[in-house]
Amino acid sequence: MAGGDVVVMTAEEFKEHVRANGIRKAAKEVDVVTTGTFGAMCSSGAYFNFGHADPPIKMSKVWLDGIPAYAGLAAVDAYLGATELDESNNMLHGGAHVIEDLVRGKAVRLRATALGTDCYPRKDIDTYISLKTVNQAVLFNVRNCYQNYAVATNSSSRTLYTYMGKLLPELGNATFSSAGEVSPLLNDPYYRSIGIGTRIFLGGAQGFVVWEGTQFNPGVPRTPDGVPKRPAGSIAVIGDLKQMSPEWIKGLTFTRYGASLGVGIGVPIPILDEEMAKSCAVTNNQIVTAVFDYSQPTRSRNVLREVTYAELRSGEIEVKGKKVPTSSLSSLYKARQISQILKNQIVKGEFALDRPVQNFSLDRVFRPLDVRSEREAM
Amino acid sequence: MKTKVVLNFSPEAVNNPITHSLIVKYHLLVNILRAEIDEIGGKMVLELSGKAEDIRKGIDYLKSSGVGVRPIKEGVRRDDDACTHCGMCVSICPTKALVLDLKTGKVTFDEEKCVACGVCIDACPPRAMEILI
Repeated sequence: MAGGDVVVMTAEEFKEHVRANGIRKAAKEVDVVTTGTFGAMCSSGAYFNFGHADPPIKMSKVWLDGIPAYAGLAAVDAYLGATELDESNNMLHGGAHVIEDLVRGKAVRLRATALGTDCYPRKDIDTYISLKTVNQAVLFNVRNCYQNYAVATNSSSRTLYTYMGKLLPELGNATFSSAGEVSPLLNDPYYRSIGIGTRIFLGGAQGFVVWEGTQFNPGVPRTPDGVPKRPAGSIAVIGDLKQMSPEWIKGLTFTRYGASLGVGIGVPIPILDEEMAKSCAVTNNQIVTAVFDYSQPTRSRNVLREVTYAELRSGEIEVKGKKVPTSSLSSLYKARQISQILKNQIVKGEFALDRPVQNFSLDRVFRPLDVRSEREAM
Repeated sequence: MKTKVVLNFSPEAVNNPITHSLIVKYHLLVNILRAEIDEIGGKMVLELSGKAEDIRKGIDYLKSSGVGVRPIKEGVRRDDDACTHCGMCVSICPTKALVLDLKTGKVTFDEEKCVACGVCIDACPPRAMEILI
């Protein structure tokens, strides 16, 4: 599909269209549905190639505006993780903020040290870089765009500061992070059109899905329509940071947790058949997730209850007989903007749709980390 | 009418039951938005409601009792360029000054309802909220 006379609808428009015309008609009339999400995506980062200094250096420790970047990739490449922190400033500033500064066109201080070798004699450098000076600047996120996610609340007597935001005591509020019915993977529950090689909107540029996201876990319980009721799939994505925009790449701070990167992702879903149309017709009242008590310091927290995204979006849910106000951590406003931009680009022929080079495996399982002996690990 | 004021107390003034006087003598409705007291004195943010004349007299009384009084023009302010409209703030705002409008997808901020409690400040991931007292 390469533009021209394709019929493209945003996810919300398509759901409305199905309500009015039914699945069969919608499947025939519509070619592509555009989805979008903008939220905190912690497992993000960027790698850079800085170019060679004279005399050259094989950097072993690297800091970008004081934030450590990983440099064990030979001479002048480094990976800056979004959640990496400058530990001297109360977890307010991290890799995510440096990535945003670069996208804004700012210059960033690069410091590096090295042991010095015969081929790379230099032992340190202190300079400035920007997206104009580096060879490559590539956003490479290993786990983004979760297909569904938990709802967090807090039954303890003190405020908790978490990656799910500020959780008030005594079930004072509940936060959720999925964009629900407009979120990409919730419209393609079995990853039929989203796979390795899928072209996507990433941070304002065009990027690609390169692999399943880490912790990919398709085997969770699903609704009769196949929509996962727990965090399931995710995607690893890549794109050229030099072409991204600060509107869609944003450094975030979660108090007493640290930094995270706000990333805008949009995925077009071709309506291949009626089944695909049915998947894209899913609405917030059909998407279920579970509420967990984040004051339980364990990886296997009890499910307090299941809720739909329609309930979450109503602004209040009931937990243990108490009315609990809800907050989203992902921006519906920006998700809608992304779906619209993607739709316009496809209609104008500026965004080509490709079939995945390879689909994700549905057999992946999500294993825990236990303290075990060498023998048990084998 | 209604007005919001910031009061600064010396340690001596801390012992004076000023809110009681504002209520009983000056017939004002007093809503305490913030109160902090330590060894070097205290600070309180009040919303005073009543007749304009009573509010003026009440403020004169505070000043004569050794309490520093200044009006709040702006309590909490939002940087609209930084806000991503995620909605993290809406469930923690005790007065529902911050509300997600599902139609536009945007978080609206009603400054009239804001009592400058400040709970949204450190909860905002893009750090768009700022408190000015």
